[in-house]
Order: sequence, then C-alpha cells, then structure tokens
Amino acid sequence: MADVRDIMEIERASTPELTRESIIGSDKPKKKFPAGPKPPRRPEGMHREVFALLYHDNKNVPPLFPSDTAGNGYKQTKIKLGMRRPRKWKWMPFTNPARNDNATFYHWRRPSDEPKEYPFAKFNKKVGIPTYTDVEYQQQLTCDTWSKEETDHLMDLAQRFDLRFIIMADRYDVGKFQKRSVEELKDRYYKVHGILAKLNGEKKIYTYDPDHERKRKEQLNKLYERTPEQIEEEQFLLIELKKIDARKKERERKTQDLQKLISQADSQNDTPRKTDKKIPKKKVPNPSRPFKVDTNHILQAVETAGIKFPDYKNSGVSLRSQRMKLPANVGQKKSKGIEQLLQDLGLDMNPTPTEEICQHFNELRSDMVLLMEIKAALSTCDYELQSLRHQYEALAPGKTLVIPPQLLNTDHETKTAPGEIIDVVGSPSTPLNT
Amino acid sequence: MSGGMLYGGDEIGALVFDPGHYSLRVGYAQEDTPKAEIPAVVGVAPDDSIKLEAEVKPDDSNVSSRPSQYKFYIDTTYLHVPRPNMELHNYMKEGMIENWDMFEKILDYSYDKIIQSEPQYHPVLFSESPWNQRHKREKLTELMFEKYKVPAFFLVKNAALAAFANGRATALVIDSGATHTSAVPVLDGYVISNAVVKSPLGGEYLILRAREMLDAMGIDLTPAALIAAKDVVRDKDKPRFTKKKLNFQPSNSWMTYMLKRTVQDFQQSVLQVAECPYDDRMVANIPAVHYEFPCGYHQDFGSERFKIAEALFDHAMLGAGHIAATSAGMCDVDIRPALYSSVVVTGGNSLVQGFSDRLSRDLQSRTPGSMKLKMIAANGTVERRFGAWVGGSILASIGTFQQMWMSMQEYQESGKAQIDRKCP
Repeated sequence: MADVRDIMEIERASTPELTRESIIGSDKPKKKFPAGPKPPRRPEGMHREVFALLYHDNKNVPPLFPSDTAGNGYKQTKIKLGMRRPRKWKWMPFTNPARNDNATFYHWRRPSDEPKEYPFAKFNKKVGIPTYTDVEYQQQLTCDTWSKEETDHLMDLAQRFDLRFIIMADRYDVGKFQKRSVEELKDRYYKVHGILAKLNGEKKIYTYDPDHERKRKEQLNKLYERTPEQIEEEQFLLIELKKIDARKKERERKTQDLQKLISQADSQNDTPRKTDKKIPKKKVPNPSRPFKVDTNHILQAVETAGIKFPDYKNSGVSLRSQRMKLPANVGQKKSKGIEQLLQDLGLDMNPTPTEEICQHFNELRSDMVLLMEIKAALSTCDYELQSLRHQYEALAPGKTLVIPPQLLNTDHETKTAPGEIIDVVGSPSTPLNT
Repeated sequence: MSGGMLYGGDEIGALVFDPGHYSLRVGYAQEDTPKAEIPAVVGVAPDDSIKLEAEVKPDDSNVSSRPSQYKFYIDTTYLHVPRPNMELHNYMKEGMIENWDMFEKILDYSYDKIIQSEPQYHPVLFSESPWNQRHKREKLTELMFEKYKVPAFFLVKNAALAAFANGRATALVIDSGATHTSAVPVLDGYVISNAVVKSPLGGEYLILRAREMLDAMGIDLTPAALIAAKDVVRDKDKPRFTKKKLNFQPSNSWMTYMLKRTVQDFQQSVLQVAECPYDDRMVANIPAVHYEFPCGYHQDFGSERFKIAEALFDHAMLGAGHIAATSAGMCDVDIRPALYSSVVVTGGNSLVQGFSDRLSRDLQSRTPGSMKLKMIAANGTVERRFGAWVGGSILASIGTFQQMWMSMQEYQESGKAQIDRKCP
C-alpha cells in the first residue's frame, strides 16, 4: 500500500510507529469490547451449522483466524477423547397427554433422559367455546332463524375448527340445514357467546355487526373486481381532479390580486394622499403616456401597487441619491423590467439626483412596475377569456361565443396598458382609449 | 430426536402413502423423498401353476379370500415385460381409489418389498384428493385398521400437504397431475372444499393429444419392450428395427399402457408451453427439439411441441389460469389476498416446460390489480412431483401432529365413521 502511495505521490498518513506492544500485543488483555448488541446465544442442542444459518448477520462475522487464544492459547485444544461409552438411543414407547385415548407410539429417545411428559403436549391449545344446557338454551338463546340443532352444529364446528369461520361455513352440514354465510355464522356465534358471557358475569362481551361486515365485504369485492380499464379510468380522473384543483387555486389567486387592486383604488379615492398633487406633474417628464383624467384615481391605486420608496425624513443627514435606490423588496424580475423600460425610453439609469428628478424618477419607476403588473393581469384575463370561449364552443358545438370587441385585446392595445385598468376594475362600459 | 424440541420434529416411524392416478408414492415420514414410486397399475394374469419365477409378488391370497389362480404384477420392472394374457388395471378413478382389491395388492407389495416391515408397527398417513367421498375414506380407514392393523391412521387432502411441503399453511394449490388440473384453496391447513375447481386437462390429456399427432404423422410407436434390435437411421428416415419374437399376442391393455409410456416420454422431453398464447411467428424463432423414438426413428419437432401443450391453457373455461382465478374468486374476499400471495404449483404435469411461467402470466392477467401475486413452484423435479408426499412426510414427523392420529383404540371405540371428525 505504501508503495502505491509513493508512486501516486499521495502523502502518506503518518503510520504509527512500530513498538514492541503493537507487534506482540499488550500484556494486559483487552477487556473493553464495543458495547454492541450481544449476539444471540446458541440454544443448547442446536447444531452449530444450523445456528450459523439462523444468525449470520454481518455484525457477527466470524474472525478470519482464531482469536480466542487468550489464556491458554493453543495448549488445550486437543479433543478430550474420553473413554466413556456413548449414550444410547432407544426406540421407546411414549404416551401423549394431549391425546385422550392412551395410544402408545414409539420414538427414539435416550434411556438416560428422564421420561417426562411428552414435550409437545403443551402446545395443545384449544379455543374456549361456550357451552350451554338445554334449560339455558330454552330461556336465553332461542332464536327465530336458528333451531337448537343448528346452533349445536355451529358450536360443534366452532370447536372442531377453532373458530375458523370460513372453514366452518365450508363444512357446514348443508344436507341438514340451510346454507349459511360466514356472516350469519359469526353473528349467531357471537350472539350466543355474548349472552352466555353476560350470564356468567363476564365483562368483556364481543359484539358483531353482520350488516357492516357484509357491506364491507361487498365493497372489498367491488374493489377487487375492477377491470384494468376501470382502474386506469380512475387514475386518469384523479389526475384530472388534481389539474382542476390547481387551476382553481390559480384563478382564486388572480381574483384576489385583482380584488386587492380594486379595493386599494377605492380606499385611495376616499383618502387622497399627498402624492395626489404630484400627478399632474408626472405628465411633464413623460408626455408619451396617454392619460385620462378619470383614470387618475386608478392610477393612484395602482401606484401603491408599484414600488414603495421608504421615507428618509427621520434618518438625519443622507445622500439624496440614496432615495433613488430601489428598495430591497423589489424583485429581480421587476428591477430587470424597469431597466429594460428605461433603456427603451432612452433614459439614464442613474440621473442626477436633484430634488425634482429624484421625485419623478421614483414615480416613473413605480409606474413602470405597475404597468408590468397590469399587463400581466391583462394577458391572464385575455387568456382566460379565450379558454372560456374554447370551453363554451366545445360544450356547445356549432355555436361561437361572440366577445364584445372592447373586451378583445389586440396587439396595439397592449401599448396602452393603463387604459386597460378600467377594464380590470370592472367598468367595461367605459370607453377605451386607443 | 436429535435437537429435540428445537426443530419441533418427533419421528415415530410413520409411513406416508400418496396415491395418485399415475403412481403411488410410499416412504417413511421424515425422509425427503419417497422410498418408492409404484405405477398405479396392476397386471393380472392367470396363474399357469408353473411356479418358477421368484420375481412375482407372492400374494397373500388368504386375506382377499380369492382363489389364487391369478398372479399380480406390480411395479415397473414387472409391468414393462410382455406376458401372455396379462391385463393391466388401474385401480384409481378421478383421483380416488376405485378398485380396492387391486389397491390391496399394491399395499401388500409396498409393505413387503418397499417398507419390508410389519404394518402394525407403523402409523400410516394417507393423502387423498380434495373431493374424496366419505364412504371411500371410511373404507380406506377400515382397510388399514382391519387388514393391516396399523396402530394409527390419518388422512389429509393432498393439496394441504403440497402447501405444507412449500412451507405454507394458507395457499392456493394448483395441482396438475395425470388426469386433472385442480385449483384448491387451503386455509390454515384446511381445504375449502366448496371452492375446489378442477379441469380434466392433465398429463393423460397431453399424452392423448401427442399420440393423435404422432399417429397422424405416421410415426411407429412400438414400445421399447418389444424391440429386439434397431439400426441407426438418418433424420426422418424409415426406422429399421426388428421386433422381439413373442409366441403370444400381448393384451390390448398392456399395449395401450406401453404406448402411453412411450408417448409420455416424448411428451416430457419435447413439449413446451409457450410463454404467451400460441402464435406461429413467435414459435418459429424457438429452436426445435430433437427426439428419437424407441424404434429408432428420429426427427426435429418445432411448432408441434407448443401446439399440443397449448391445450392446457387455451381452453376458455378449463385453462389452468382460469380455474385458479375461479377458485380464488369463490373464496371469502378476506382471504383472497392471502391466497394470491402464495400460489403453490405442484404435480408432475406442472413440469411441462414453461408451465409455471405461463400460469403466472395467465393468472397475473386475471388478478385484481391491487393484489399481490406470488407463485411458489419448487424447482426440483422430485419436490414438484412428490409435493404431497413430501408434505405428508413433514406433517407426520412433527411433534405436535402426534396427537392428531386416529389411533387403533379410537377406531375400536367409535368405528370408521370417526375418520370424518378426526381428519377434516
């Protein structure tokens, strides 16, 4: 390894120095082992090979060389070949207490082992099936649909098949009694069981609802009996549902946005801000924008949706140019858009920050953001309008939805974005500017 | 009892018999393969009172109270020799024992030649078909206790045993044997008898179809036992062989049986089930298999191998996949997932090449989409053919099973009708 490292010119990790201890091993035996989970002990009598098959996880991989040399080392590894005679095996009779006849079978056993109870008898577990006397039956257990004989038969089957109701239904004596379903059997059994348990003063009483079970099984059956096409259809519908949900959410979000714009417009109309008086001025630096007086209030509303520049009144001495800095909450996309628009208009990115320029420049950029937002709103409205039209045409074939021309958005109109605001606000009757 | 309780086993020297239409499997419990597989056919020939052969099974005729004017020939070595006037009889019918006299002969033979021990020392576990009739079960019980004086007896449905052999207590067992293919749901070791579905398409059917085809092709099917010498001929050339000189005509039943064995060999080595429903173009790509008949004739078999085997699956109602799905569909909804998740394939006929693949495919297409399907098919020939016997061997040597036997005492107390209660 070291050679390879030398060739590859990899710096060698400092190897621990060779000491006597590292070669021979320290004198004191290492007592500490990592406190991992103890490997399961091999049960007595189990063959080593079999045990190895059961527990061979990587945690307990056997060591590559004998590690148990502590203490005596190899000194006493010789097999002790005692001169004792091997213990005998004998073909011996046994009786099984789990049987109620005293049948005797034979098996191999060591005569030296104490003849104890047959070891497998303890696994003979039976389910406790309630019993009843004739009197009890007459008083408590009579039922219109079940005769005593049939109930007896049921209890007998329950005993024989340890309450495996499906097998019980299968082996039901159809010759003597009518065919019963698993639910009927269960219902009757648990009713009898419950009544008897109550009589005996037991607290735990099982109840069984056959109708519910029947319904459950019916549904389960329906679930299993779906054809592949049906399953496919279901999958398809689920995906569609998801799509519809997503679309609905999207629409709601947009409506909310619009609502916000509208409500802001309303509130601004009621309490005009001081920026109000600056609006006429705005036209001066940017005469290309076709304004209408009656859209002013909307503009204000929209203005708030633009950029909010922080006030620097209480901040003491500051550079005026500082006021022109875009606030941090303006996203990258918006600022990029502003830049683009400024370039299109041939304006300086950083004009000289006189009081006036500062003011107007900020307002201009705020308007630009607003313009972008409104354009986006317009295009989504337009898109929705188109998609609704398509839907309408799909649902009512042959008909075409005539959209009033003032609702239609054409290319040259996009330039006049602020005019569309009227539409957004919801007064379509307002004449549009071109 | 080495290891004792650890493995849950306790061997008590029990014997396991697994009668089938093709053969009877006999052996000691706790062994992994039966000691012998005896064809389920007995050859009967009139005794010529010239007692010279020691090979013939000595019959204990005093038991069957039949005048010993017949000799019985049992096991392959004796059966496959042509003998004058020897008629062959199959004692099985529809998976159940039909001819009890013949069956006794077989049992005698098993104890004598295979087990080589006295029946009264060994408890006996028998397998039976899931649709076995009550009176047949009782008759068998009576026979074992009265004639053979077995200390204990037990009857288990072979489907349950096959499930045990594959390590399942709950399974849908697809057993494709000589005469039947059956789908049997097993729940906790109990067969759900009302949901058993069987179809008469098995090994015999394939043999029949193969024989029809070979006859149509004009291939000489003289069994090996009648051929004295043969020459090497070229592919598809007329065979040149000499027949053995017999001074008698072998009986029809013997000829039929030997022909069946001959075709069976052909069937086992050549036939294959296509992976998907038969299609000429697909099959054309699979290499042909070469086969030489006992008479020396040989040729390649291509699409024929698939065409014949396809019969096991292409029947609308009787295909193996269909009966499996039907059977599962007849069970309670709650246990269907458990059944589908362990579909055990067993029986000698399931060894036809490609059987389990095709079954898996067929069943998959019929399984509800949300259900997990798992096929369990033992890889070994022995495990597959003797599935029920192996299961019986396991069951009879389990410690907790030893309380289940119907003992001689119980038989004497309550009679043969008890078997219905003891062995569900």
